[in-house]
Amino acid sequence: MNLLNTLTWWQWAWLGAVPVAIVLLYFLKLKRQPLEVPSTYLWSRTIEDLHVNSIWQRLRRNLLLFLQLLVILLLAAALLRPGWRGTQWIDHRLIILIDNSASMSATDEPPNRLAAAKARALALIDQMASGDVGMVISFSDTAQTQSFTESRRALRRQIEAIVPTNRSTDIREALRAAAGLANPGLTRLENQQAVNESLPATMYIFSDGAFPAVPDFPLGNLNPVFFPIGRPATENLAIVAFATDRNPEHPERMQAFVSVANFGREPATVVLELLLDDQSLDMVELTIHAGDQAGWQFDLPDLDEAVLKAVLHHDDALMLDNAAYAAINRPRLARVLVVSSSNEWLRTALSTDQVRLIADVTFAEPELLADAAHQAAAAAGAYDLVIYDRCQPAQLPLANTLFLGSLPPGEAWKSGPPGGPPTIIDIDRTHPLSQLVDMSSVLIAEGRPLQPPTGSAVLFDSVAGPMLAIAPREEFEDAVLGFPLLVEAQGETVQNTNWPRRPSFPVFLYNAVRYLGGSRGVSTVASVAPGNPITLRAPAHVQSLAVKNPRGEIRRLERTGQAPFAYTDTQELGVYQVQEGQLDPITQRFVVNLFDPRESNLQLQSNLELGHEAVAGQASPEPTRHELWKWLLVAGLVVLVFEWYVYNRRVYL
Amino acid sequence: MSAPHDTSDLLSPALLARLERLELVSRKIFRGRFKGERRSRRKGQSVEFADFRTYVPGDDLRFLDWNLFARLDKLFLRLFLEEEDLHFYALIDASTSMDFGEPTKLHYAKQLAAALGFVGLVRADRVKVEALSGARRASGPVLRGRRSLWRMLEYLDGLQPGADETNAPLAEKIRNFVLRHRGKGILVLMTDLMDKQGYEPALRMLLAQQMDLYLVHILSPEELQPDIQGDLRLVDAEDGDVTEVTVSRPLLDRYRKTLGAFVQGAREYCTRRGMAYMLASTAVPVEDVVTKYLRQRGLVR
Repeated sequence: MNLLNTLTWWQWAWLGAVPVAIVLLYFLKLKRQPLEVPSTYLWSRTIEDLHVNSIWQRLRRNLLLFLQLLVILLLAAALLRPGWRGTQWIDHRLIILIDNSASMSATDEPPNRLAAAKARALALIDQMASGDVGMVISFSDTAQTQSFTESRRALRRQIEAIVPTNRSTDIREALRAAAGLANPGLTRLENQQAVNESLPATMYIFSDGAFPAVPDFPLGNLNPVFFPIGRPATENLAIVAFATDRNPEHPERMQAFVSVANFGREPATVVLELLLDDQSLDMVELTIHAGDQAGWQFDLPDLDEAVLKAVLHHDDALMLDNAAYAAINRPRLARVLVVSSSNEWLRTALSTDQVRLIADVTFAEPELLADAAHQAAAAAGAYDLVIYDRCQPAQLPLANTLFLGSLPPGEAWKSGPPGGPPTIIDIDRTHPLSQLVDMSSVLIAEGRPLQPPTGSAVLFDSVAGPMLAIAPREEFEDAVLGFPLLVEAQGETVQNTNWPRRPSFPVFLYNAVRYLGGSRGVSTVASVAPGNPITLRAPAHVQSLAVKNPRGEIRRLERTGQAPFAYTDTQELGVYQVQEGQLDPITQRFVVNLFDPRESNLQLQSNLELGHEAVAGQASPEPTRHELWKWLLVAGLVVLVFEWYVYNRRVYL
Repeated sequence: MSAPHDTSDLLSPALLARLERLELVSRKIFRGRFKGERRSRRKGQSVEFADFRTYVPGDDLRFLDWNLFARLDKLFLRLFLEEEDLHFYALIDASTSMDFGEPTKLHYAKQLAAALGFVGLVRADRVKVEALSGARRASGPVLRGRRSLWRMLEYLDGLQPGADETNAPLAEKIRNFVLRHRGKGILVLMTDLMDKQGYEPALRMLLAQQMDLYLVHILSPEELQPDIQGDLRLVDAEDGDVTEVTVSRPLLDRYRKTLGAFVQGAREYCTRRGMAYMLASTAVPVEDVVTKYLRQRGLVR
């Protein structure tokens, strides 16, 4: 039972004056017409028996006053709107699913959709009777599941703890979590009941419905109830794509491409601004039809490194998607040493423009291996990648290595006797080293099947055995090609294979420089969706990275093995800065952008498709409040009628 | 002496003509002071023989029947019916409360008293018409004979409501009357019985007298069927007592009930004590009351 005040204090003051006025009017005696009668004997006897009980008589005398005061009291009570919460929505087991994806940050439902969803969920919690159990699941593209509890306070706390995310929406994980608690175990053993007793539960979904339909999900015991959160026709404009690239016509220049979508029902004209390092660079006015997209291409000067930001100057319900970020990283050239005795094929393949963009390649003769200065430099990690062509160092350098026709020193790598021709029959196309490499037309005269150490991966497999394998060595990796490009025969150097004439050879070497050299090109970093992990590459000698998110929080990543760094904490939209080591300058940046038309589309879904049924949105998700004011008003009217009756029937005074 | 101007007001000639044929009847034996025109139940001295009885010593020898003694040698006494006059009292309550109605109750009472008094005068009864008063000296005239009609009417005409202590309580007024009149006879009390101290003590005092008592309870139609509306302050005409009422149908119903109980109570009180009670509404003509109702009651014949 609670009250809703409907009047301001001065209105209450007026209402409070009414009973006072009634009482005052009662003090003013009724003016009566005097009439002379023969005798009041009979009249006084007539009303005599009404004066038997004086207290009751006084009450009866003032009955009208009391009735009028009662009417006022009832009216005042009706104005207070007493009522109590309805209970018809409540099941005994309820699972509350609250969408906290990016679209729930829309402000069409003030203050925002998530707050509205939380408020309604809290209202639902208020209706729980004792003994009811509830569970809260917040979901975006992942689901945060809490356990069933009877404690309403715990449920309230869990609901209040839900924070908005910038993620996209996928209800499936949440549904699986809910179904796991409501439905019998899916992996049921023979002749054995499910371990957990599964009971039917009502699943209350507080969402804007901006997620793909889940038609193939078996709901089982779950009874879904959908409360759409948000206004039906909510306008929104969003940047759905923002990319930078080299201008294909003028390779020395860069260009940025922005795509803006209008998810509303009215055409809109907006100003799109491009900022470079927070300085306005360009501005354009775009007119976008309803449900359409418009793109614009900005020409940029040649930039080594920069942070670009595209801003849509439009006041709409969702501000998250009105800004997009792009970063251009300084190209970091891989330091590559090629130890080869006049292998022109190699020199040619490593001198392409593409390689030059990502690597600084040094060529040296095998005699260098004996040089002490070189040995010291190699041991200190002066290179990222050393390619040994038919030669072998005394000690492996602190760098990734690629051996062409020779084996790394030590006992780890072994090879079989030379044989041929080792026709390549299988390629691991998923490995970065061997992807896009086509060996189908490559002829190889002679090769030695490799016996790589444990933990290695075979990339080329031939009829004779592994021809290309890669194996980790502490934090580095060694790749070994089982056949040389050139062989010495009768004092002459002859080709062992026609691979260098094939297009796949420079591709392989480019892969090697790119993967083993750990370099990045000039090209911009692809944007990451919020919450998705990103793989960060760093030179082989770098042991740790520091990532600074847009809010300025720094997180350290330690290298584990040779695996590239994986950064998962990409909740915030914006530019992330990566530092190698402790105090080094920023070496690279990456950006997190929403770029999700489904989240940006704020049109409210009135129905959900879950399982095989369409769940209609509850038109009035507000839990019904049982109002009392109508009955109070009716009671007031009844009292008024009674008062009128008494006034006409009264036989005293 | 010319006829008073209001003779026809109190008694119309037609009524007088009808009244002449009537006479007052007493249900009890009275002893008048003079021989009257009526036969009494008492055996007495008159020319009309009634009966014989044996002589007992002490009887008046004048009534011995000597002829019978001669024939039978026994002493018999001749009894004669005695003719005597009748004392008739008409008491009018002249309090202010009687001064209401159209015609007023007082006027009605005067008419009634005049009519009955005329009947008595015609029959040579001793008639006394008097307004009840708390004053000792106030006394109505004693009348006898048809010629006294004018005096009676003059007296009645002179009666004013509320004057001369007539507003005193009924019991006091009755006591005042009873103290002065010890005789027997017929007494007709004309009042509205509106006495806040109750009519019972007054009637009890009358009942103690061995009179033939008649109570004519005069009420006006305004009292029987009040036609008033609204919020009223009712002022008592006699003592100024105030009663505030808001007239409503239930209140009128209740009033009627009270009135009915009041009338019924008075009727029962009188009937149980051998007193003739009659309710007279001033709406009923006096002629009808005298020639029909009182005739039925046995007061006149």
